[in-house]
Amino acid sequence: MTIQTMLSMLFGGFQTSLAIFALTLVGALPLGVLVALARQSRIKPLAWLMRIYISIMRGTPLMLQMFAIYFAPYYVFGIQLNPGSKWTAVVVAFIINYAAYFAEIYRSGIQSIPRGQYEAAEVLGYTGSQTFVRIVLPQVVKRILPAMGNEVITLIKDTSLAFSIGVAEMFSTARAIVASQVTMLPFLFAAGIYWVSNFVIESLLAALEHRLDYYHE
Amino acid sequence: MRLTTTNVTRRSAITMLGGAAMLGLAACGSTSGGSSSAGSDAATTESASSDQLEPTSGMDFVVGFDQEYPPYGYVGDDGEYTGFDLDLAQRVCEIQGWNYQPNPIDWDAKDGELNGGSITCIWNGFTVEGRENDYTFSDPYMLNAQVIVVKADSGIKSFGDLAGKTVITQADSAALEVLQGDQADLAATFASLDTRADYNTAFMELESGAVDAVACDLSIAAYQLAQKPDTYVQLDDELSSEHYAVGFKKGNTDLAKAVTDTLKQMDSDGEVEKLCEKYSDQGISYSNWCLGK
Repeated sequence: MTIQTMLSMLFGGFQTSLAIFALTLVGALPLGVLVALARQSRIKPLAWLMRIYISIMRGTPLMLQMFAIYFAPYYVFGIQLNPGSKWTAVVVAFIINYAAYFAEIYRSGIQSIPRGQYEAAEVLGYTGSQTFVRIVLPQVVKRILPAMGNEVITLIKDTSLAFSIGVAEMFSTARAIVASQVTMLPFLFAAGIYWVSNFVIESLLAALEHRLDYYHE
Repeated sequence: MRLTTTNVTRRSAITMLGGAAMLGLAACGSTSGGSSSAGSDAATTESASSDQLEPTSGMDFVVGFDQEYPPYGYVGDDGEYTGFDLDLAQRVCEIQGWNYQPNPIDWDAKDGELNGGSITCIWNGFTVEGRENDYTFSDPYMLNAQVIVVKADSGIKSFGDLAGKTVITQADSAALEVLQGDQADLAATFASLDTRADYNTAFMELESGAVDAVACDLSIAAYQLAQKPDTYVQLDDELSSEHYAVGFKKGNTDLAKAVTDTLKQMDSDGEVEKLCEKYSDQGISYSNWCLGK
């Protein structure tokens, strides 16, 4: 196998990794907001439900959650699976798992805003939602960026778990080439691709943090 | 061998979240059933129900295989899935007019994939012995043996020399089954018997000196020895001998028979022997073919 074939296969697998990454962010970033708000809701049963949800999502391995979501339709409801179901299962599992982590990061940000700001906003005639959107949220975004950066970088690497239910992403492709070609080169290339993509994400996050840091110049 | 979110009002969002959480709970509650069935002694209770597949022309024939299992199923030099068993499967599909689809799976998830219906069969140097009650098999087509591979300079010559040594094999593999069953007395003399996710990792550990021996299939041993002839030696003693067949979900007897008949036909046409020659440098030998002989 030529190096070109190897790299084109790895980049083929990397597209799958990137697709999981992008779909997870698109789904989990907004879902996390809803979970964080529900988690702090005055409706106690709802808040408790969210606590349980977050606890299960954080307290069990993502790999196991993928298994559960992939196989539950068949083993619980008797619905036949098809070759497309694994892709749906991976994306759903990643979104609901990451939404739980994101929700807790959002909550840490929301709760870090001093009570006095809400009182001041009320005196100035802001409604509840205006206070949240115009005053609280912009500050929250700045405060949670470093923590979100951690999760986003972890997400890139977690995409390698998808093969446990048969979605062939970059790392499984690397392992397959290692097995047939008896060379360690694909691992080296895979490591390089992971690091370079995370370096790009780090740089983007650093630039965003710098742009948002308009009070500390 | 071994083996999405839409724009919603706040109220409906809350309802939705509640539903999602319930789903999450249901999914987690089912894990015990799901994962135990995905384990080793699967498919015994479920199966044999209404979802039998009948061989029909134009049907999808999804072959589940471990892409890290040369020479049976692996990534070829051109980057396409290839291997002895995949070539056989592809030819059978051509003859039967089925739509051949190679589908790499994680070996630990094979039972769930098969029972769930996302794959039609497991065709990947799949050992019959010990799994007779769990799958509907085609007739066996290949003989195989479980052997032990050590480093050439280790000084280990026989099973007796393995006492106090570290031995590894693949998780959920036939070699592991033998070492926990018929050869449990031998395994008791090892310093330890551990498992790895795939044989390639196991052989990396053997080569680097992290372990003393790898228990595996004859064909895996032959493949690794062919790649690095000066590094490894295979012990003359065999742990067990066994047969390879194509595994279907329990009850799919018509499909299994169709595959058996086509394989016999390919053998009498001389196609099988040619295919064995193609993979001879990777440890496949026509002398081990046992279907229709």
